[in-house]
Amino acid sequence: MTGDDLEALLGQRAPGQWELYRKSAETREIDASAAFKRAAWRREEGWAARWWEAGAPRFAAASGPDALALAVPEAARIAVATEAPPEWPSKTAALAAGTAVDPPPELFEDLSRAVAAASRGEAVLAGLRLRRGRADERIVNAAGLDVAQEHRILDGVALCVARRLGRAREVRVPFRWDAEPEIETLARRLSDAATLPLSDRPAPFSRGQWLLDPAVGASLLGALAPLFLDRPPKWLVREKMAGPLVGVADDASRDAAFDGEGVATRRMLLVEEGALVGRLHDLSSARRAGGLSTGHGVRPSFRVPPLLGPRRIFFETKSPSPPAALLSAITKGLFASALTAPPRMDLAANRYEIEFTGVSIVAGRAQGPVAGARARGRVSELLRRIAGLSTDLQFFPSPFLVGSPTVYIERASFE
Amino acid sequence: MNWDDDSIHRWLEPLAGREGDLAEVFGETLTETCLEWRDGEVREARVRREQGTSARWRRGGSEQFASVAGSDDAAVREAVRALRASAGREPLPIRSSRGAPAGAAEIGFPAADRATKRLSAIFARHAPRHAFTLRLRESERRVVSAGRPASAATRRLLSLEGRFTAASRAGDEDRLFAFHVPVSDAALDELKTALAAAAAPRDRPVPVPPGEADAILAKGCAAVLFHEILAHPLEADAGVSPLRCLPEARVAVSDLEVVDDARRLDLFGGYERDDEGTAPRPVKLVASGLVGSRLTDRGHAPASGSTGHGRRSGPAEPPLPRGSNVVVSAGSTDPEEMLRRLGNGIWIEEFLGGSIEIASGTFRLRFPRARRVRRGRFADELGAGVLAGELLPALEAIEPALGREVHACRSLGWCARAGQVVPVGGAAPDLLIRRLGVRPDL
Repeated sequence: MTGDDLEALLGQRAPGQWELYRKSAETREIDASAAFKRAAWRREEGWAARWWEAGAPRFAAASGPDALALAVPEAARIAVATEAPPEWPSKTAALAAGTAVDPPPELFEDLSRAVAAASRGEAVLAGLRLRRGRADERIVNAAGLDVAQEHRILDGVALCVARRLGRAREVRVPFRWDAEPEIETLARRLSDAATLPLSDRPAPFSRGQWLLDPAVGASLLGALAPLFLDRPPKWLVREKMAGPLVGVADDASRDAAFDGEGVATRRMLLVEEGALVGRLHDLSSARRAGGLSTGHGVRPSFRVPPLLGPRRIFFETKSPSPPAALLSAITKGLFASALTAPPRMDLAANRYEIEFTGVSIVAGRAQGPVAGARARGRVSELLRRIAGLSTDLQFFPSPFLVGSPTVYIERASFE
Repeated sequence: MNWDDDSIHRWLEPLAGREGDLAEVFGETLTETCLEWRDGEVREARVRREQGTSARWRRGGSEQFASVAGSDDAAVREAVRALRASAGREPLPIRSSRGAPAGAAEIGFPAADRATKRLSAIFARHAPRHAFTLRLRESERRVVSAGRPASAATRRLLSLEGRFTAASRAGDEDRLFAFHVPVSDAALDELKTALAAAAAPRDRPVPVPPGEADAILAKGCAAVLFHEILAHPLEADAGVSPLRCLPEARVAVSDLEVVDDARRLDLFGGYERDDEGTAPRPVKLVASGLVGSRLTDRGHAPASGSTGHGRRSGPAEPPLPRGSNVVVSAGSTDPEEMLRRLGNGIWIEEFLGGSIEIASGTFRLRFPRARRVRRGRFADELGAGVLAGELLPALEAIEPALGREVHACRSLGWCARAGQVVPVGGAAPDLLIRRLGVRPDL
């Protein structure tokens, strides 16, 4: 069974209404701790078909073309409600032959030293998993689309444990590097996240200003992303969604030329000067909305059909401030250095809860660590109180890429 | 999987020349049917057929791992060849595949469409407005290890998760539902009973009052607590936890017996062979109130050998020591006596999920709703909340009053650690625990 055979099979079952996706990937990974090291090599192959048979959507995935040919009739056997098919894109783009994947750099020793230095010996790097890989994708469909593209990654997860006076804290930090490894930045994140909760100080204020580290800001934006995927909730006022300095955009053009459905990647402005101005679409949501896909059909894996989602979403502003300027603007408040639990967000009910560790600040100066604090309230108020964004934009995997600089919120309540 | 085990053994033997060396090949053939249900209709049908093979070689503190797509003879050769190359051994001679063609395995889920019809009827009766995701998964796993006989195991699982609208006394209400069970003739009957109970009319909940509370963990949901505070800290590769420093120390009342038992095939986390080919044995996590043993795989086993808890999410991942089914022994207290002993507190029947931070032993469990108990009697309904505490104080706070009946916990299904998701299960009697932190969830 070849790709051509599968195209013919799908063409027979769903004339004009099919899509075939193929991925082949190679990754090399080093998983290291003080006493153990694993070197892994993986070759992955994935095939996926999506088609509308008798007006109903079907999906099948497999690790090879023969297995996919068996999965297709199985998926067709189940009675599924009818749904109109999307407007399939049509374009062609060839892929240059890729190069082999080198092993990732061995950074355990370097990062261990950097963590020890950043934490003054209180934190220990317990494990580091670093992965380098490439994936080739090809998407064809019944409308004549035939695009191919390559992705490259260098990412990983670091595990760090800190101890002080019988107390302990363990943190796991995922990261992704677009260029050279940033060991010092990662070491500081690990050190702060592991050591700050070991202090015995609760939040000294019940309300005040709130400064978010880029990692915390990115988690916040990641949790808010569903606002840009569906109809906005009733509480959201489009013109005054956020503070007037706030912008949000999604632009994955530096990662890939096409999305997981073969639609060209483009920059999408979602929030401009605090007003909601855009929404993301994949092929299915675009059909329902009577519009065009914005190139946000995401395939986290070949095993699932494309899903509507952000690809590289980030805060931006026309008037950024240096981080030091935002810090000096705080008269009384908290700096959230790291989260201590995933952010909880009920967008329909307009509620959020963020648990974090950080530092208390008075008159622009750090006063001391805060082991743990919880900010909760209305999402609408949180967004409108964002009064400053800094220049230090950083991206984090979450699982889609989310970028944030230091974020200044003029008022928040803490527990 | 049509493997030539003798040949694979021959390829692996040179890699396992020293005592303690570990060389193995693992393969999986998986079929999964996934149905997205909305209000009585299947809106999307997805079928996945996947084969994968990996080879692993471990010597001392170093491990080489290679995984490839496919599970035929050619895939095994490719994985072993990569391993032997990394070990500096002669590569295998390249031959054409002689195994079964990829994807032609006799695996499948012919029951999927029958189950679909039956489930449609169950949903129509008990939860006509819903958004459920059903997964029917069948996997066949095979392990060939140097110096050990080859082993194979097949597992069939049914997993239903989602939300539905229940008509309650205070109007419509959105409720979550999760049910995970090994496929059997009785699985759909059990699901029907569970869904009917979940859809029963209830009063409008009031917010959970924050603070400390005594709680009864009922209907088997105590298994989720022990999964977090015992199984994870006692996984052999876990970091230093509060339990690690207390081998065989008394941490709970002597009535408490908690076992991790993968042999319970009626529970979601059961299996006959682990993913290293070892037959599992039950491991006492707490025995008569004393800290028990660790859950081990071959890479972390003492001289007595692996306990059969080497598990992986799939062939592309190496095995880790993981928990399977947490089973708590019954006591002798009936529910009325439990309520009387509780006095004032909360009654919880289900957890949506949990987590633990191993180093500090702090845990949190999210529940969708609870029931307030006043003077030993049920009072008002409480909304969603979070139960939080620390491992050792929580174990010490368990009362010597365990329920007479052990209930399977069907809401416990998938556990994620280090990026690997494996099926887990549990069963427990009702359990009374004092002074846990509680606060309302969003």
